[in-house]
Amino acid sequence: MDKDSIKENGLLEQYLLGELSEKESNEVEEALKGDEELRTYFNELEANFQQLAFENAITPPGRVKASLMDIVNNEINEERKVIPIKTRQQQRFSIPFAAAASLAFIFFLSSAWLYNNWKTTQSNLESLRNETSDLRSRITTIEEDYDETNKWYQAINQPDAVQLVLKGNDILPDATAITYVNHQDKTVILNTQGLPELAEDKDYQMWADVDGVMINMGVIPSDVTMTTMKYIDDAHSINITIEPAGGNDHPTVEQLISNVIL
Amino acid sequence: MKDELELIRRMQKRDSQALSSLYDLYSGAIYGVIFRICKNESQAEDLLQETFLKIWNKSELYNPEKGKFFTWAYRIAKNITLNELRKNDKLIQNEDLSVYKDRSDDAEEKDFLALTGSLKKLEVHHQEAIELVYFEGLTHREAHQKMGVPLGTFKSYIRQALKKLKDTYPKEYFLWWIIIEMIR
Repeated sequence: MDKDSIKENGLLEQYLLGELSEKESNEVEEALKGDEELRTYFNELEANFQQLAFENAITPPGRVKASLMDIVNNEINEERKVIPIKTRQQQRFSIPFAAAASLAFIFFLSSAWLYNNWKTTQSNLESLRNETSDLRSRITTIEEDYDETNKWYQAINQPDAVQLVLKGNDILPDATAITYVNHQDKTVILNTQGLPELAEDKDYQMWADVDGVMINMGVIPSDVTMTTMKYIDDAHSINITIEPAGGNDHPTVEQLISNVIL
Repeated sequence: MKDELELIRRMQKRDSQALSSLYDLYSGAIYGVIFRICKNESQAEDLLQETFLKIWNKSELYNPEKGKFFTWAYRIAKNITLNELRKNDKLIQNEDLSVYKDRSDDAEEKDFLALTGSLKKLEVHHQEAIELVYFEGLTHREAHQKMGVPLGTFKSYIRQALKKLKDTYPKEYFLWWIIIEMIR
C-alpha cells in the first residue's frame, strides 16, 4: 500500500474514524511509521477533526462526571482494599516475617542443641550417679571388709595370741584351718579358708579336749572365712569333726579330721 | 501536548485526578459527538460515562505514537455509541460488516445539536459529508449512499472539506488554544 493510494483512497480519514478493518489499519500504521510526509498529513487530519469536535462540543451535565468519578474512586478503593493490603502483607512477610522466621529457626536450632546437650548431660549424670552409687557401695563393702579384716588382724596380731595350724588327717588330708588362741583375752579365732566345702547336711564343729572330755566350742560357720569360737579353759587340744548340719552334742570321733595340741 | 501526555501517563498509573483533568479537557467534544449520533440526552450521558470508564480501564492500550489521545477517545466513544444503538435494533448491518444507524430522514434534530464553527464556513455538501462520517457515525460507504454520490466523489468531499478547514483554522486556532489552556 503506497503513500499516494493511501491518500487518494481516503484511507487515512477512514483510519482516523475507525472504519478500517484490523488488517487495513495495520497497513496504514506501518505506512505512517515509515513516511514522515504521510505522518505530517495524518497529524493535520487529526488536528482538523479534533478542531471540529471542539468547535461543536456540548458541555455535559455535571452529574455525569460526578457519577464517573464515584465509580472510578470506588474502583480504586476496592483495588486498595485488595491489592495494597496484599502488598502490606507481602511487606510484612518479606522483612519482619523473614526476621521472625530466621529467629524461630535459630531458636529451633539452639533449642535442639540445648536439648541434645541436656540429654547428654542427663545421661552422663545418670551414669555418674550409678558409678557414684556403685563406688559408694564398693567403699562400704571395702570399709566393712576393712573393719572386719582390721578386727581380725587386731585380734590375731596380739602378742598373746598363739597361732595354731590344724592340718587335715587321712579323712580330709587337704584341709587346713588356722586358729589363734589368746589365753589372756580368752578368745579363739578361726580362719576357715582352708576347710573344704561340705555337703549341705554337714557342718564342721570344733571341740576342746579338757581332761579327756570333748567340750563343744561351736559349729564352724560355712559362709565366713574368719570366725570366733568359744574359749574353753584348761583345754589340752583343739579338734575339728564333721557333724550333721547344725552341730552335735557329742563329737563323732570317726569323723575327726584334725586336731592340735595346745 | 507534553502536559497531556503527562496526564495520560498518570491516568495509566490509576491516578483518578488525571482522569478528571482529561475529562474536563475532552468530555465536551466527546459528548458533542455521542449526542449527535444517538440524539438522546439521557442515553448520551450514560454513553459518555461508559466511554470515559473504558478510557480509564483500557488506558494502557493507548499508544501516543499511533495518534492523538482525542482520536483514540473519539473511536471509543463512536464504537460504544454505535454498539448501543445496534442493541436497540436501530442499526443495519452493511455489506462490509460495519454498522450504521438507521436514521430516519424526518428525525427531528434539536437546535443545540446543529453544527457550528468552521464547519459552517464550508460549502453545504462538504459540511454534510463531514457531519455524516464524523458526527453521525456513518461509514464512508453509508454516507456516500446517503448523499447519493459515488464513493470516490464522497471521499473527495471529505478531503476537500478538511483542506478548507485547515485553511480556516490558523485564524481561529489561537483562540481555541487559549480556551483549552484555560480549561487545563
